[in-house]
Amino acid sequence: MTPRSRKSLEFVLDNLVWFILLAVLVLFSAGVPNYFQLGIFANIIEASSVLGVMSIGLALVIIAGHMDLSVESVAALSAMTVGVLFCSAGIGLNIQLTPEWLAVPASLAAALFVGGLIGALNGFLIVKAKMNAFIVTLASYIWVRGLVLAVSGGRSAQDLAPAIRWFGVQRLMGLPLTAWLAILCFAVFSFVLARTPFGRHLIMIGGNENATFRAGIKVNRILMLSFIIAGSVAGLAGWLLAIRTSGATANLGTGMLFNAFAAVVIGGVSLKGGVGQLPGVYAGVLLLASINTAINLMGLPATSTQVIHGLLVLVAVLLDTLKLAIRQRLK
Amino acid sequence: MKRITAFVFGVLAMALAMLTPAFAQTKGKVYYLVPTLLDEFQTGSVSALEMFLKQVGYEVQTLNADNKTETQQSQMNDVIALKPAAIILAAVDFNALKPSIEAAMAAGIPVVEFDRQITSTPSAFTSVAGTVEIGYVAAEQAQKLLTGKYGAVKGKILQVLGDPGDPYTLDIQKGFEEKMAAFPDVKIISVPAMQWEASNAGTIVADQIVSNPDIDLVFSHAAHLSVAAVASLEAAGKKPGDVFMMSSNGAPVGLDLIRKGWLQVEVEQPLYAQAAAVAMFMDKIVAKAEIAPGDYDVLGLKATVTTEAWGPNIKIPGAAIDKDNVDNPAFWGNLKAPTDTVKSVE
Repeated sequence: MTPRSRKSLEFVLDNLVWFILLAVLVLFSAGVPNYFQLGIFANIIEASSVLGVMSIGLALVIIAGHMDLSVESVAALSAMTVGVLFCSAGIGLNIQLTPEWLAVPASLAAALFVGGLIGALNGFLIVKAKMNAFIVTLASYIWVRGLVLAVSGGRSAQDLAPAIRWFGVQRLMGLPLTAWLAILCFAVFSFVLARTPFGRHLIMIGGNENATFRAGIKVNRILMLSFIIAGSVAGLAGWLLAIRTSGATANLGTGMLFNAFAAVVIGGVSLKGGVGQLPGVYAGVLLLASINTAINLMGLPATSTQVIHGLLVLVAVLLDTLKLAIRQRLK
Repeated sequence: MKRITAFVFGVLAMALAMLTPAFAQTKGKVYYLVPTLLDEFQTGSVSALEMFLKQVGYEVQTLNADNKTETQQSQMNDVIALKPAAIILAAVDFNALKPSIEAAMAAGIPVVEFDRQITSTPSAFTSVAGTVEIGYVAAEQAQKLLTGKYGAVKGKILQVLGDPGDPYTLDIQKGFEEKMAAFPDVKIISVPAMQWEASNAGTIVADQIVSNPDIDLVFSHAAHLSVAAVASLEAAGKKPGDVFMMSSNGAPVGLDLIRKGWLQVEVEQPLYAQAAAVAMFMDKIVAKAEIAPGDYDVLGLKATVTTEAWGPNIKIPGAAIDKDNVDNPAFWGNLKAPTDTVKSVE
């Protein structure tokens, strides 16, 4: 293989998930009626916003060699917190602030605080108490969802304050502001991961925690911070979720954890830690949303959609595995 | 180490503080096996059953199955061992619970089917609105809306189902499509919102309204799905009334959407009457006495008891709620508990 063709192949492999996304979009555009239009592509980006933001936090923790199963429940609790405080119907308390726009930073702060707090608790138990991340965050996944139910009493909050809903209705270049916020998050955290000492140390910890510690890097502090960030980012996802659905229900966000995991894996993040980039994760999220949209438009029998969804995700993951195999042969 | 120990004890203390034992003297304990507490109808059914059964002297203990069939099966096994006065079951899965129902009945514990009818094995009593019938009522309302718009029953309907693994939504779909089959000029697009999750419904509506801009009516199988559907329509620049909307179960959120003009019809399940009917007949159920077929007045609604192959069955018709009757306090979605007390049927 010539150096030039090798370089080209490596470029393709580095960005394989984007090429898969492109292929899938072309395939669906050709085969699914009404798929090929700007409105549908805008929907895909919009539908990716909540899952995308949730996946950022999850990816950071996985890259650091750990696990956070609580992100879905944390997002649900944050959404319910925002719903209870700032919705005017159902169980909403309809808190009014003057001027009205203050509801935006206040609700965002509440969501981030709730997420950050649970992230800090997870971090404390995992980093300081040396408990297993899988078990600790699994427990959080359960008790935080239980808290959503306890707080709401199984009821829902709806009619989110118009100042907050504005982010879901207002469009810029055809996309709602919530989608732009998700894109901004990916840009910021991609920069943090690739270009800052924190990001580089996170990758080093995921690759070899002991070696990183011996190199004088404050591993515990960085890990603690990564769990707090994962929680806060999940809180942000919850804020976006509340905006998207104009409120919150007790089962809001159910099933998102597994989609977030799928997106992270498809996006090239190794579950063993130490490997991964956030742009790939965003491509993974877009890929899942593209598949979901195609299923929505295909008019398939209700009972078979989940099978098709799962199989398409499996195909995407298999392609990613193929990528790893080719890369090893190149070495 | 001390901090961790203190934390563990703190968590245990909180968990114990949430346990509130009941010591009141009653005619007996009735277990209510609720499929989930993640929707307002189910949480409403818990409080309604507790209220009405207390009025006739029974204590209710509720167990939540979190929509998991195997959890509900285990709960049934545990409850049978406790030998309660009766079990009220709203089954997660209509068929999978059949052996558990048979085991309870064989152990002499009467099983009452609530909200979800099981016809494959006998029960002591069944109180339902009828999920297929909800589909029928919804179809009648859809026909009215489309006729009002076009002068004939024609157009395009987006049907947002709940989770496709839930027989409840499949029965509504069956009833709805059965009645709509008589109108070939109506195209129905059916898409499931996985796990009854609201943002999934929002995504479905957002996608469909772009690919099928001529959709006349969105029919969601639960009111909370309509909330997300409205958010998507609003984000797409639609105003109330641009697209007809209808949902089923009569939850408070649906009634609010009617008041705001987004929703035209909500097909109500008569939650209070369904629960009251169970309480009215509980003495007879526990005593294993005969329940006579015929018409009964349940909270002012005409309910009919029939003797079916699966046992005595009371059916209470669902109602269509629109802007003209939305404030009727009889609808459970208005969250005004009935002031009438229930009396046991002699």
